[in-house]
Amino acid sequence: MSDLAPIQPSPDAVLSCTGVRRSFPVGDRRLAILHGINLELCAGERLALMGTSGAGKTTLLNILGLLDRPTEGSVTVAGMDAWALSARRRANLRNEKIGFVFQFYHLLPELSALENAVLPAMIKLSRGAYRSGRSAFMDRATDMLTRFGLADRLGHRPSQLSGGEQQRIAIARALLLDPPILIADEPTGNLDRATGERVLEILLDEQSERGVALMLVTHDERLAKRCERVLYMEDGLIQADSSAPMPT
Amino acid sequence: MFRTFLSLRYLRARKTNWIGMAGILVAVGALVLILSIMAGFLEESRRTLRGNLADLVIQPSFQSSVLQENGDWIPMQTDVERMLEIIREDPGVAAATPQLQWYGIFAPDGGETALEKPMQDAIQLIELVGIDVEGEGEATDFRESLETEYGKKPGLGKFCNVGRPASVEDPFRNLTERRDVVRSRTRPKVPILVGEQLAYLWGLRRGQEVSLVTATYDEGSSQLNETAANARFQVVGSFRSKDNETDSRRIYIDRRALADFLQRDRLWSAVLVKLNDYKRDKDAVRARLWSKLHAEGFLSAPGIRTNEFRTWEDFRAMLLAAIQNEKALMGIMLSLVLVVAGFTVFALLSMMVTEKRRDIGILCALGATPRGVLALFLMIGLWEAVIGSAFGALVGVLGAYNIDAIERKLSSTFGFQIFNRDIYLFDYIPAEVSFSGVAWIVSGAVFSTLLFAAIPAWRASRLDPVEALRHE
Ligand SMILES: Nc1ncnc2c1ncn2[C@@H]1O[C@H](COP(=O)(O)OP(=O)(O)O)[C@@H](O)[C@H]1O
Ligand SMILES: [Mg+2]
Repeated sequence: MSDLAPIQPSPDAVLSCTGVRRSFPVGDRRLAILHGINLELCAGERLALMGTSGAGKTTLLNILGLLDRPTEGSVTVAGMDAWALSARRRANLRNEKIGFVFQFYHLLPELSALENAVLPAMIKLSRGAYRSGRSAFMDRATDMLTRFGLADRLGHRPSQLSGGEQQRIAIARALLLDPPILIADEPTGNLDRATGERVLEILLDEQSERGVALMLVTHDERLAKRCERVLYMEDGLIQADSSAPMPT
Repeated sequence: MFRTFLSLRYLRARKTNWIGMAGILVAVGALVLILSIMAGFLEESRRTLRGNLADLVIQPSFQSSVLQENGDWIPMQTDVERMLEIIREDPGVAAATPQLQWYGIFAPDGGETALEKPMQDAIQLIELVGIDVEGEGEATDFRESLETEYGKKPGLGKFCNVGRPASVEDPFRNLTERRDVVRSRTRPKVPILVGEQLAYLWGLRRGQEVSLVTATYDEGSSQLNETAANARFQVVGSFRSKDNETDSRRIYIDRRALADFLQRDRLWSAVLVKLNDYKRDKDAVRARLWSKLHAEGFLSAPGIRTNEFRTWEDFRAMLLAAIQNEKALMGIMLSLVLVVAGFTVFALLSMMVTEKRRDIGILCALGATPRGVLALFLMIGLWEAVIGSAFGALVGVLGAYNIDAIERKLSSTFGFQIFNRDIYLFDYIPAEVSFSGVAWIVSGAVFSTLLFAAIPAWRASRLDPVEALRHE
């Protein structure tokens, strides 16, 4: 069982959690979903998280992404115990260290593709700093979107774009501030196979090029094979770990 | 940064926000407009209340001696020329004039008094005011009260066709040149100017003779004389001041003629003073004049705020306070409109927070702090408040400046008189825009909106991002 003594995170871990439990109040009882998870994500590592639906993958990802607080246990991001920090510092960690790609893209409908992609920079910077850094970020986002084949879609609203296009914008958004960690929860789960493959190529290319640590939830065995490490989750526990990292 | 950007974007993209803004616009506009008109009416009423009161009225209570500060008693002075000299020396004083006031009863037809032919509203004391015509013209708006009737404004004839009251080409000359002009073969007739209402009530016409009856005051014995003085007067004109009361009971007579009629030695009972700048100087001038006049024995009371020395506001203190109070009450009641506008914003923002749950979750995931989310929604409220109230203030001010034209236009379009100019003393809709008032209204609107926006904004900042992102 993996819920024994918390382990010390290894020094090159960019993201780790120890003894993470999560339960939800359901009626007057608490429903335990995660039963003590220890996990480490090393810099540049590509990790796949698999498991049946309802196993608790999304719950774990939300905790690792600092969106949700574990009922027990701790999460360490870039060497900092995230829940010991102030809400503001934690928000900054989310902003600078973690990129999210969601199953349902989650773009802001009122913003154009380009604006969605530079949103993290707007959140990060104060008004003055943004004004001076604006064009640099705009260029960066434009470059990325162009590379993703969206050069003629920059001014479009999400509602005018296909799912694949929206997900590519979401990837650009997640990578804008060059975070060391990328968290993707079934990024192709909502796309048809061909489109999904195209999006995945982009995601994996960018990941290896930038050396971002990627934590990816997927149901696709073939995709999992392309990852250095695969974790299998069941009933709130990590049951199997394709442990020994593949030689690089 | 994202707060400003996103709040403006949401504001523009979501048309429901325009409703909130329009609500604030209407509320602020209406408030500015109504309060301006209210202020106009009140200012106009204040003017009416002032009527023809002089800035300062000095009315000594004549006694034999006056107690000085140092404990000495000195004889009371009654030399009005000396008193006027002292008053006119003061740099804040523009003019000063003596008056002699007494009371009488009208007996228009050949000497009969009203008492012999009682009619309900006829048995009324008439204020006999003895004036120096020139001085009166300088120190009060006596001159104006003559001019309005013969000049710009329509007289009473507009209301009743009984016939215009007595009119006169030059009341100044007629009143002063009495000895040459009006002396009749039999008895000398004293010319009088009659208040317009009074003239109408008695059906007086120019040139008509009337009798006045009064009891005189015997200064020696401090007793009212039982024998009535009775003399013939001739109406040479009428006047209309801004005060109805005055117009319905006052008669102007030459001061010396009145003293003759009353058979008394002292030719005055009060001195009216006009100041260069009433608002600025009233207290200073009053203090200076009081100490000088008291020192010389013209005033007997040991302090300023007495019946001896009054500003026109002292005469109308209660009514003026009522006006002030009305203004305040009106403001308080109308500011409820701002609460309603704030409530609209509250409802719209609450709706928006509910609809935008997912966006809020996304912003959190991208690193927005709860405080940032709070600020984002507060800012939406702020824009609505600022833009809405700015335009509202503009609309209100423009409306207030043009209310008369607007009313005329509306009245002629709809075919009925919205503002009945006949029933007011003024024939336009008065409006006074106070810019500090507008500033107060605008800041009140912004404050109230922010207060109301704070509730949904706070709710947004407390949203659980996981919960917000869970469902598509
Ligand atoms: N807020 C919540 N309240 C109650 N139950 C929850 C809550 N969030 C998740 N769950 C439950 O936790 C389990 C794991 O969900 P999830 O992490 O989404 O699974 P996965 O992503 O692996 O399919 C599910 O049974 C789900 O119903
Ligand atoms: Mg899931």
